[in-house]
Amino acid sequence: MKFRVKGNIRDMIAFLRLLPRRKKILASAPAVPAAPGRVNLLAESLHPQVQYLRVTAVRDETPSTRTFRLEPEPGSPTKAPAYFRAGQYLSVKARVGDSSVSRPYSIASSPSDALRENFYEITIRRKEPGFLTTHIWENWKQGTTVKASGPEGFFYIDTIRDSREIIALAGGCGITPFRSMMRDLLERDFVTRFTLLYGITSPAEIIYRDELARLERDSSGRIAVRYICSDPDASWSGETGFLSAAAITRLAGGVTGKSIFVCGPPAMYRFLEGELQGLRVPHRRIRKEACGESADVAAIPGYPQGAEGKPCRLTVQMGPLRREIPANTGETLLVAMERAGIEAPSRCRSGECGFCRSLLVRGDVFVVPDSDGRRAADRDYGFVHPCATYPLGDVELRVPREG
Amino acid sequence: MDNTTVNTKRRYDAVVVGGGNGGLAAAAQLAAKGTRVLLLERHNLPGGFGSSFVRGRFEFETALHILCDYGPAEQAGSVRNFLVDELGVDIGMVAVPDAYRFLITEDGIDTVMPLGVEEFIAAMEREVPGSRGPMTRYLELCREVLEALIYLGETKGNPDKRVLRTKYANFLKTAAYSVKEVTDRFGIPEKALKLLYTYWLNIGPPVSRLNFTLWAGFMYKYLTMGGYIPRHRSHELMTALDARIRELGGETEYNTRVDRILVSGGRVTGVVTEYGEEIETRHVICNASPTLAYSSLVYPKEEVPKAALRNINARKYGVSVFVVYLGLDATADELGLATYGYVVSPYLDTERLYESFSRPEAPIIQATVCLNRAVPDCSPPGTCIVTLTGLMRPEAWGDVKPEEYFAAKTKMADAMIDQFEKATRIDLRSHIEEIEVAAPGTYARYTGTYDGIIYGYEPESWDSIIPRIASIQDEKYIDGLYFAGGFSFRALGYSSALMSGQMTANLTLREMEAER
Repeated sequence: MKFRVKGNIRDMIAFLRLLPRRKKILASAPAVPAAPGRVNLLAESLHPQVQYLRVTAVRDETPSTRTFRLEPEPGSPTKAPAYFRAGQYLSVKARVGDSSVSRPYSIASSPSDALRENFYEITIRRKEPGFLTTHIWENWKQGTTVKASGPEGFFYIDTIRDSREIIALAGGCGITPFRSMMRDLLERDFVTRFTLLYGITSPAEIIYRDELARLERDSSGRIAVRYICSDPDASWSGETGFLSAAAITRLAGGVTGKSIFVCGPPAMYRFLEGELQGLRVPHRRIRKEACGESADVAAIPGYPQGAEGKPCRLTVQMGPLRREIPANTGETLLVAMERAGIEAPSRCRSGECGFCRSLLVRGDVFVVPDSDGRRAADRDYGFVHPCATYPLGDVELRVPREG
Repeated sequence: MDNTTVNTKRRYDAVVVGGGNGGLAAAAQLAAKGTRVLLLERHNLPGGFGSSFVRGRFEFETALHILCDYGPAEQAGSVRNFLVDELGVDIGMVAVPDAYRFLITEDGIDTVMPLGVEEFIAAMEREVPGSRGPMTRYLELCREVLEALIYLGETKGNPDKRVLRTKYANFLKTAAYSVKEVTDRFGIPEKALKLLYTYWLNIGPPVSRLNFTLWAGFMYKYLTMGGYIPRHRSHELMTALDARIRELGGETEYNTRVDRILVSGGRVTGVVTEYGEEIETRHVICNASPTLAYSSLVYPKEEVPKAALRNINARKYGVSVFVVYLGLDATADELGLATYGYVVSPYLDTERLYESFSRPEAPIIQATVCLNRAVPDCSPPGTCIVTLTGLMRPEAWGDVKPEEYFAAKTKMADAMIDQFEKATRIDLRSHIEEIEVAAPGTYARYTGTYDGIIYGYEPESWDSIIPRIASIQDEKYIDGLYFAGGFSFRALGYSSALMSGQMTANLTLREMEAER
């Protein structure tokens, strides 16, 4: 085929001029570095790798719960707390003795508290397992500096996906993300009805009691707060029992067409699974906050019988560095690394976010089935999420650095 | 790691900065040739834009719709040859069903366009009678251009000029022109042009600026070879590449950002990581863009030649994307999602559409994919995965404040879902179990790409594949520094990025050879 665009000769000249034209265009541009991309700046402000914070106030909520207010550490790279979606968490990092520990805590304050008042609040219960909570209780005072991740997690209301009518099921300290959501929805009109069903064992355990009453009162009927107490004392005149299918239906006025958000201890999730199934709530209408690691791995279905509680060795290759450390079949690979003071990456501690993704070079492990948030190819290529993986004997891991 | 320090400085034949398509391909090629290579990536995963993420029961593909230039075994494209034959990475890629449905609502177009040159021409003729003749001649020209590109590849940039002038004259005569300038000469009926130009969405710049060579090569490859995807999302291919690099004796480290490329006297001498570790090397293949390399990575700043800065400022940045990922609690059959791909737009005027990419509003044109039509078991029984993608320029997000960000994303996602539902009468909304939305900022967050840009520099004629490749040595401003990825000389796209990795690795190997 003979073809021309503007004429045989003109086309050939245009071709021959391509490179000279390029040279001319390049030569006429300014010789300055590119300004930082505005989209990069936006992404960094929303998703900082680290936030340098300091405790500016400590408030006792109940005898066993305490709220810490965190603000940017003056003089640090953190100028403002990153904006977030109500329901998200911060992964707080600390050195406790020789250990290097992190723990996710839901942000209990609202996004606008971060935006306008420059703070986050997290509420921590003393009874929670793990030595970080104990360490925080004993050491965090006004002025303590705190290193945290950016806001993380997927436990938030999405107006495209979720119903405008929300039922929030809170158990114990699981109330914290809902406080953030309720504060948020007083300011932004994205939910028509938010019913909080707050399960407690005893009345003394109720966190934010006055504030919850105030939120309900100020919400023009959009927020309803209902308590249900499993082990009431004489002073309790409210609902008693557990967050059963019957109680949920009664207290929330039915479940049809509503989205159910659940945050609480693992036992509550196990109990609710059957209850919500009984109510025929579709899968897409149930959102559960990641529930952290289990206290007793041997109780998890599928765990090899008698494998728990045995010491073993963990070899960690991290960048150019290699170390062998003690581990135990009853503890996750992440915990073993933390104990040894290795700063391993972690965020959700529930197998979900994949931030701790590491290569299992050799050894046998148990991956918690309910917390197996791995990508399909990662399973095929021998990757694990150490926060939800238990060694069954000596193990070697390649772990990315903390970043 | 605590208490442990490395006292000796590490040294490698080559360091690859960034583990996207281009960086992984380059590192694999270097390792395959016995080079001591270290790949450093800032994110905790390999792949860059080519990745996946898990929400609930679903694992979503981040970006890939079709990998071109792979092809079936009996008609292997260059990507298959490279991955399978040269690197030994054969993950059993899946052929994407060939049908794309085009819904151009204001023009009343609703048609399924098949693969295969004959099939494509026949479908076009059915839709637009009288288009067969011009379309046949047009695709013939595209074929000639593609053959010329293959010839240039085979002769490694040193073609016989006489062969070019005699056998590939049409390639030479069209190389300096835009898609529009060339296509206008064929008298293709307007409606057929709209259908044809729908494929422009894979490249980005409007047809008045997009270079014809790149377009012709893409179109012909696509129509003849079809598209392929990894079964377990892009993450599978990237993980396989990472594993292969290590098998071949290379090293890869994640969560390790390179902060500096050290240059002394115009020559690369090493890199410095975010952990302050200095690593010696004389060869860096940079998967980050020249924009980032010359503006912030090369150290000290005095080592950045003025010409390099002029280069990055002269070029036009390509587009980013906006993607809505949906995990649905009904099957593709139940929902009536009959085809793998849908392109939905009210009109098809690439100039007007391109202008809209800069506005902070929902994309006007969307390319939507139902992954289960290519990989039926990509999600649990009773569910399916749908992703809606629109192109967007960084400017659209430049003025968005952090506190407006999530609401802005939601509003745009909402409008895209609406648009799809109205055009197809398919109900997505009442089945959404998982939703995630990626904006340019999301790509910037995970990959560090400049301004969230995915499509590299725009391939106008003066900055298209031919002038870029012809200028490699001329525009090599620092000895020992080459670029791979969508911003490099093969221009945008998955297959281009992968092949750029192979090409830069070969250039680096040649230099190492010469040094010996």
